[in-house]
Amino acid sequence: MSTVIIDAMEKGSFISKAVVDRCRENEKDISLFKPADMNILPCRSCGACEYKSPGKCVIKDDMHDILRSIAKGNILVMLTQIRFGGYSSCLKKAVDRFMNLCFPLYTVRQGHLLHPARYGEKKLIAVGAYEGDSVDQENCFVRLVENNAWNLQYEHKSIIIKFSEDIMKIKQKISAVL
Amino acid sequence: MKLSRKKILLINGSPRKKGTSASFARTIKMLAKNSGDTAEIVHAIDYFDRKKELADFYYLAAKSDVIAMIAPIYSDALPFFDIWLMEKMADEPGCDLRNKVFFAVGQCGFPDITRVEPLIDECRLFALETWMKWFGGLAYGGGAMIDGTHLENLGKEGEKLTKSFEIALENIGENKKIPSACQDLITVKIPKILYRPLAAYLNRKIKKRAKENGNAGIMKKVYLD
Repeated sequence: MSTVIIDAMEKGSFISKAVVDRCRENEKDISLFKPADMNILPCRSCGACEYKSPGKCVIKDDMHDILRSIAKGNILVMLTQIRFGGYSSCLKKAVDRFMNLCFPLYTVRQGHLLHPARYGEKKLIAVGAYEGDSVDQENCFVRLVENNAWNLQYEHKSIIIKFSEDIMKIKQKISAVL
Repeated sequence: MKLSRKKILLINGSPRKKGTSASFARTIKMLAKNSGDTAEIVHAIDYFDRKKELADFYYLAAKSDVIAMIAPIYSDALPFFDIWLMEKMADEPGCDLRNKVFFAVGQCGFPDITRVEPLIDECRLFALETWMKWFGGLAYGGGAMIDGTHLENLGKEGEKLTKSFEIALENIGENKKIPSACQDLITVKIPKILYRPLAAYLNRKIKKRAKENGNAGIMKKVYLD
């Protein structure tokens, strides 16, 4: 088993530390990526990953390291501050390139058109953190994670942490899913 | 009844300047001009790429009455540079968006428009956070089929989309939210029983195009090699 962590939280975040520590307790083979410190360029919708270099983005940047690790891994953990009910731009710059984790072909599953997963089924755990008390924001975040997992055909769990929460409660929430 | 002439800022949220989102923005701009409003299209990617100054964008936003995000879904939500731009707008104290009208048009290649809902929600929550007036969102599930074609060249489908945008703009002009009739007009109605033949048709096209590009091996697991 191996775990890939994409940590888009701010530097020095205690939530990041709690998640990474918990992953290390369970698993030795961990790949940790911090997109804020990486050169990840935006998808230009050029279509090359579909036809010219199938499954491989032609943009030369650090995203290939993340994709290679996800392809080999079993669990993908994503940490983000919740912005507008979704991922922050810092996490989304990596997630936008996940198209490479699927085949360009279509399949039908439970009445939905999908792109089949290129590297098999995995587990996605998304940790969203924010300061506030909005059920609306939380529901939107949970649904986005569901949609991502549905498209990638991964098992999934999402947890929402409020910055104001007690560290012990945060650790309990993290332990419940990791 | 139209209350006053409005200044409309249309943000093309796609990196493609001649794609489906840009085509939608073009039509909305023409409709706005026909009804006496002024409309301008900007490309979010230009600000991310620093081809244009963010300060100029804030200025355009400040003098607009209505702002719209017109974007494709990338991994089930807005493309990252759109979120980046919205974060900048929300976090920049000098960018006062209070009481401006905001609406969104999201599009994707899948006929199921529920896939576009997270994008619409992001725009709605952005409007809420920036004290803008949320006037609603439209979701279109045939974006890939249009592939940037101008709507006047799209036959009935183009007419329906244009009519939907026209009604939406009329309502916005009267300070009303976009009515559900606009969404009904543009919802692509493909019975689910046809999804398998549709998938087979699309797969044949994809394999053919890959072969034309010299790549028969579209099933390769390149990141495991």
